[in-house]
Amino acid sequence: MTDTHAHYLIVGSSHAGREALAAIRMADPKGRLVMLSREGRMPYSPTILPYVASGRSQPDRVGLADAEWFTENAAELVLNAQVVAVDPAARAVRLADGRRWTYDKLLLATGAEPVVPPVKGLDRVRYHVLRTLDDALSIRERSTQARRAVVLGAGLVGMHAAETMAAAGLDVTMVEMRPHVLAEYFDPKASALIRQTFERHSVRMMMGRRLLWAMETVPGSCRLGLDDGTELEADLLLVAAGVRPAMAMLADSGITIDKGILVDDRMRTAAPGIWAAGDVAQARGFLTGVPVVNGTLPEAVEQGRIAGMDMASDPDLIPYGGGIPLNTYGFFGRHAMAVGTAAVPEGDGIETVTDEGNGQNGYCRIVLKDNRLIGLAAIDRVMDAGILWRLILRRTDLSPVRQQFLSHPLETARALMSRGWR
Amino acid sequence: MPSQDTIRFIPERCDGCGDCMTACAKAKGGASRISIVGSGGGGWDIALCRQCGDPKCVANCPAGALDKHYGSGIVGWSQDLCVDCHLCTIGCAYGGIVFESAAGHVQKCDLCDGTPACVPACGKGALEHLSAAARLHETHADKEDLFVPGLSACQGCNSELLIRHTMRRIGRNSVVAAPPGCIPGMGTVGYNGQTGAKMPIFHPLLTNTAAMLAGVKRQYERRGKDITVVALAGDGGAVDVGFQSLSGAAERGERILFICVDNEGYMNTGMQASGSTPFGSWTSTTPVGTVERGKSTDGKYLPQLMMGHGCAYVATASTAFLDDYHTKLEKALAASRTGFAYLHVHAPCPTGWRFPAAMTTEVCRRQVESNFVTLWEFTAEDGLRFTHAVDRPRPLSDYVGMIGKYKHLGNAEIERIQASVNRRVAFLKGFCRQPSAAE
Amino acid sequence: MNQHVNSSRMIVCDGNEAAARAVVLARPDVVSVFPITPQSSLVESLAQFVADGALGAELINAEGEHSVLSALQGACLAGARTYTATSGPGLAFMFEPYVRTPGLRLPMVVSLVTRDMLSPQCVWGGQQDAMTVRECGWIQIYCEDVQEVLDTVVMAFKLAEHKDVLLPVNVCHDGNYLSYGVSRVELPAAELVDQFLGQPEVNWHIALDPERPMSVDPLTGGTGPGGAASFVGYRKSQVRGMAAALEVFSDIHAEWGERFGRHWAPLVEEYRLEDADIAIITIGSMTGAGKDAVDAARDCGQKVGLIKVKTYRPFPREAMIAALGKVKAAGIVDRSVSFAWDCGPLHQDVMTALFASPLRLPLVGFIGGLAGADITATHFERVIAETTRAAGGNVPSSPVWLNEHD
Ligand SMILES: Cc1cc2nc3c(=O)[nH]c(=O)nc-3n(C[C@H](O)[C@H](O)[C@H](O)COP(=O)(O)OP(=O)(O)OC[C@H]3O[C@@H](n4cnc5c(N)ncnc54)[C@H](O)[C@@H]3O)c2cc1C
Repeated sequence: MTDTHAHYLIVGSSHAGREALAAIRMADPKGRLVMLSREGRMPYSPTILPYVASGRSQPDRVGLADAEWFTENAAELVLNAQVVAVDPAARAVRLADGRRWTYDKLLLATGAEPVVPPVKGLDRVRYHVLRTLDDALSIRERSTQARRAVVLGAGLVGMHAAETMAAAGLDVTMVEMRPHVLAEYFDPKASALIRQTFERHSVRMMMGRRLLWAMETVPGSCRLGLDDGTELEADLLLVAAGVRPAMAMLADSGITIDKGILVDDRMRTAAPGIWAAGDVAQARGFLTGVPVVNGTLPEAVEQGRIAGMDMASDPDLIPYGGGIPLNTYGFFGRHAMAVGTAAVPEGDGIETVTDEGNGQNGYCRIVLKDNRLIGLAAIDRVMDAGILWRLILRRTDLSPVRQQFLSHPLETARALMSRGWR
Repeated sequence: MPSQDTIRFIPERCDGCGDCMTACAKAKGGASRISIVGSGGGGWDIALCRQCGDPKCVANCPAGALDKHYGSGIVGWSQDLCVDCHLCTIGCAYGGIVFESAAGHVQKCDLCDGTPACVPACGKGALEHLSAAARLHETHADKEDLFVPGLSACQGCNSELLIRHTMRRIGRNSVVAAPPGCIPGMGTVGYNGQTGAKMPIFHPLLTNTAAMLAGVKRQYERRGKDITVVALAGDGGAVDVGFQSLSGAAERGERILFICVDNEGYMNTGMQASGSTPFGSWTSTTPVGTVERGKSTDGKYLPQLMMGHGCAYVATASTAFLDDYHTKLEKALAASRTGFAYLHVHAPCPTGWRFPAAMTTEVCRRQVESNFVTLWEFTAEDGLRFTHAVDRPRPLSDYVGMIGKYKHLGNAEIERIQASVNRRVAFLKGFCRQPSAAE
Repeated sequence: MNQHVNSSRMIVCDGNEAAARAVVLARPDVVSVFPITPQSSLVESLAQFVADGALGAELINAEGEHSVLSALQGACLAGARTYTATSGPGLAFMFEPYVRTPGLRLPMVVSLVTRDMLSPQCVWGGQQDAMTVRECGWIQIYCEDVQEVLDTVVMAFKLAEHKDVLLPVNVCHDGNYLSYGVSRVELPAAELVDQFLGQPEVNWHIALDPERPMSVDPLTGGTGPGGAASFVGYRKSQVRGMAAALEVFSDIHAEWGERFGRHWAPLVEEYRLEDADIAIITIGSMTGAGKDAVDAARDCGQKVGLIKVKTYRPFPREAMIAALGKVKAAGIVDRSVSFAWDCGPLHQDVMTALFASPLRLPLVGFIGGLAGADITATHFERVIAETTRAAGGNVPSSPVWLNEHD
């Protein structure tokens, strides 16, 4: 065994990697465990970045795991270690600086990276993305000088960023190709409620528009042209047009990839001894059975744990139940959550029950199929997202409590779960 | 992983009055962190933080705002670090961490620093603050585990738990006897030259455990060595063929601790009935057929017989109440320095009694809560004292209904068991110094 | 007379008391007792010796023989020299721990005050009890008189504890005839016995001792890996210990003779056998009457000798064959019955020994002294007569029951 051989090698130091590490250590206290990160910093979560950008979170206080944690878990963290190639046959990875690590078991938890759309002139203007702490810090710095901000993309990253910029006093405009914000989670009515809140807080919401060109005005600022002819000025341009799995290092590896790295229900890739989890992985979707890249933090945690347990041959492993879109979302003091396919339209065996709370008391949309919950979205309603997630995963038959569930989803769901584990 | 305090909910006692929520809201200022919800049909259920050992809310937090404190066991939340993303609420399957709009952030139970306000507020006894595990952890975690890590016990068997706890407590300066039965059967004494424990341990005969231990102890006493001498016997080796030697040793006041692990039959050899098997039980020698319906007589209640033996200490225990067991183990060990100490531990057998392996502790609990099993201790000086008196026992059917070996029983038969349970409780109360002092 | 003999003293006592006095000399650590006829006065003596401080042992008054032996097993595993005595039904009740003792290689000494077995209900002497357990792996020694009881009980500790043997020993003395028969015996000096026996070392091989933690008697055998070999290993070493006992016991007797001046035949005693035509074979207290009968027959010119079996388990095959080689016929007197062979157990053993040698000679079986019946010189006259006839080719096909008409 050499200095650069690990029994367990984890690439990526965020949620999926951390959870896998902890799970491995639960089952195997001994095998050498090394985590590689391309970052020069201790692990942190991308989800925290909007709050770092806004100044709410201090960059030195957002650690997911400190040195002590690694010591306690008898694991080593190697920073500035960007993996550029994987050689499954040799059970080795190569780093950008030429170093090489060998492994018995490898986990790829490299997450995702921002997608920058091919827009004319975009490469010649200053724009920001938000995936790393450095990104967040540079946005933060720019915010102090900027007056007008444009956010491209009304997904979670863009929405979070837009809100924090608005809160910081910037004049914010959002440009979104699709007609609705957060369209993968919320149905049009819920989306509209969220959008209206943004508008009430003076964020311009330009929905269904596409960016056609960009052009520098003064250094650091630019002008943007949309497909309807609108032109926008931006001192700060954030491109939040989506992410794609960070799997460039697999280019010549022969590992099967699609939109992400394809994995089975134990997070095993097609290559022996290699697992993948989190934003980089493409695992079975719960409702469709088709592999999807989920890209949410709870899924990264779930998959990371499964991968770790499987790597350490933990007998208690329960294979992946399948991915479900889910998120919680706080905005301007309000809160929204969506679990499952909460946005699908009615019909085709799908029943939806919407409670708009007289326009004041929040919003709730329940989606059922065969009397089983498949999705629920809510705004300003107390809901236990975790309980609903499990009701979906367990395909709990709601027939006996259907009426109650529709009228009192929170209490009924709590009672169902409480009975289940009591 | 350390154990922790928790709040236990007993739904049968809850009437949904909401006093706990009021108390919580008052203590914490704002919304209650405990939530009582109707479960339909007039019942009640609960949503409350379980202070999980491996908390998913913590795993889901991107901000480091949630943290499991390994000392107190509490999952703590820091308002300072929280960014209001609410992802923690996706991790929790218990409704234990919830966004409260009035407060503007998530809230969760913190057990009020060890004295939860909700528990005393409940006048119905539906909430219990269980702090034993943490206490036990504090006192026992550092003690050496003397029991073999891999065992061939049946899934769900609580004897392993009992043996591990006991061995940890008594330590290496001991001699342990494990007569034939489930305890050596799971590998406690070992196989073919390999041992199951890091202490002197042996197989006596099923019949002579107490006598052999008496011999061991006498020799060490003669040499002036203080050695703890303990039997881990099944009910067969205590109630039936082992009874004579047990009785003799107790009468002679041999300085030993005899622990009877009562699984109500000969489970190791295929679930035959023993003298301890209760009325109505299916066993392989009291089967259920067209003529017979399980065991036709009540079981012999050995702890009561041991009271008549002039023992230094007699007590009953249940692994659902490990703190109670540890207290008694402590007293029994002390008593075994001056005389005979007897502990009777009830050990429901998932395999032989036919209930799911995951339910063992719940079965133990219901045995006690229905008074099918009573927890008490007895010394000649202080008489009998109930250590976990159950004032409002569950109906016996709550317990019997969980157990496969009783599934053929009709109401009349369950009533018969209920009657004998009631009689036993009344009888035991007669041994209390001041019957009113029974807690 | 040397100094050793000088420091001994003469007393008058019965066999039970002699055994108890021997136990005092052997200084056991733990004695456990339960009374049973005809052993009771033995344990009463022990209890009195303890009460008087003459015997500094832990006395466990157990609630039955089963626990008596079990307590001794525990004590022995903790390093104690141990002793008890039992008889007949008590031995039967003790059987479960009894059969286990040799396998644990626990070097105990247990006196069997022999008694006939129920039923018919009886409380008198006979060797059916001891003979019933002759295949359990215990060493069995039979005594002829009170002095031999005393000497043999002491020697038995040395035999049991010998590292090549390490097996439990039954010293058998006949109920009624030896238990209650009083005679003058010489009591060796305690210090000399101490020197003879040395400190007990009884659990060096297997112990319940926190300073040497081990698992005692884990499940062994079966078809699992190494199980069969392990079990065979234990059994074979037990057989080796048994076989070694013959020589070890002979050496012990030689040493005893040197130290105390009394020379007992350790295995079989040959009495007036040199020029004998026939031999009678005896075991236990009947030997005295047998010797008298031999003397009387010799006086009448009959060439009769006697072979007394002292060590019965392990069976002293070579010694028996050597003795039988001197005669033309033998009459074996058993005080018990082997139901399988319609003869006495000793008879059966002699036959087996003969088969293992080229010798062939007529054997006549006699069964006498059951349930306290006396075997007198008159009975032995008949034994001699029948055996003489057998030497002439007239061998009865089934045993002669000596007390059939008494
Ligand atoms: C601004 C923002 C807001 C978000 N908000 C939410 C939200 O509200 N809810 C939600 O559920 N999710 C949210 N997410 C998504 C969430 O953060 C991710 O789903 C989650 O972080 C995925 O975890 P992961 O471990 O799979 O990957 P990542 O968190 O992306 O971590 C990947 C790690 O791998 C390292 N790495 C990558 N490539 C290499 C390489 N070649 N060599 C070495 N190391 C490498 C990276 O440095 C990083 O440490 C948000 C994401 C962002 C960016």
